[in-house]
Amino acid sequence: MKRIRDNSLGLFFGLLFLIVLVGQAFAGHADFNQQQMAAGMEPVTLGRYLTSASFAADVSENWQSEYLQFFLYILLTVWLVQRGSPESKKPGEQGRDSDEKQKVGAYATAESPSWAHRRGFRPALLSNSLGLVMGLIFVASWLTQSVAGAAAFNEEQLRGLQAPVTWAEYLTEPDFWNRTLQNWQSELLAVASMVILSIYLRQRGSPESKPVGSPHDATGVEG
Amino acid sequence: MRRADGAAEDTARRFLQAVADGDGQAACRALAPRTAEEIDAPCAESILGESLAAPSPRATTEVYGQRALVTFDGDAVFLAVFPDGWRVVAAGCTPRGEQPYDCAVQGG
Repeated sequence: MKRIRDNSLGLFFGLLFLIVLVGQAFAGHADFNQQQMAAGMEPVTLGRYLTSASFAADVSENWQSEYLQFFLYILLTVWLVQRGSPESKKPGEQGRDSDEKQKVGAYATAESPSWAHRRGFRPALLSNSLGLVMGLIFVASWLTQSVAGAAAFNEEQLRGLQAPVTWAEYLTEPDFWNRTLQNWQSELLAVASMVILSIYLRQRGSPESKPVGSPHDATGVEG
Repeated sequence: MRRADGAAEDTARRFLQAVADGDGQAACRALAPRTAEEIDAPCAESILGESLAAPSPRATTEVYGQRALVTFDGDAVFLAVFPDGWRVVAAGCTPRGEQPYDCAVQGG
């Protein structure tokens, strides 16, 4: 029980993700079949829909933007600051910090990950692993969106008695950029809102917020 | 992304060959329901009056999900998947740039 409680945040979001993904699968399946019926065709099975380009494109276009959001946030908060935001470093502290502060190499402690003690590429890889993995998942998701999106787009093209396009041609299609940018703008708005609103607003008990009594210009203070 | 699908090409070829052979009933059996509805009754006679070329020996097939496009030397055939397999949605189609293909036979 303690183990579950100690990991409740990750477990809750992981479980909620699966529930919502299942919900999306059923809603997307119903929507797809509505379009099938409207076009005078037979409905497809849930299994066929789940392996369709349409479902893959819908899922991956949202994934790529979420991972881009975190990738940018992780990386840019190394160098950019926002006075008064609990999400930001204090002005003047920009940069990758000293080995001492980051507890790497000679400054690694007994509790540090083993790679933090080493020399060479291992500590460098560990030092950038969070941004790297987020960035790689973003690139993979965006690539998946482009491939699945092209196939889904071409299915629509054929439905409208229009010629299909190649993957390279699809990358210049408004459909690809509309799917991409509509997700990017919402993610960037959410990040900007979080950075700015957390200067003036509080959520008691949340580490994403400053303590309620902290002054508005207190930076990098988490409650 | 693209995959040739012999079944779609077979259906398109069988449809065009049936028209070329004067077998209107076989041709109409290959049509999607909405497309068959658009043909003047009786379908088996009217379909033979449409300007549809016999299938060329070579064709290219592009399949995306539930839809396929089979392009012969003369013109193209659009198909869709139904429970019993591929059916012809539109035939005798020629491209018009960005516009939809101009088809001799097509569903509503």
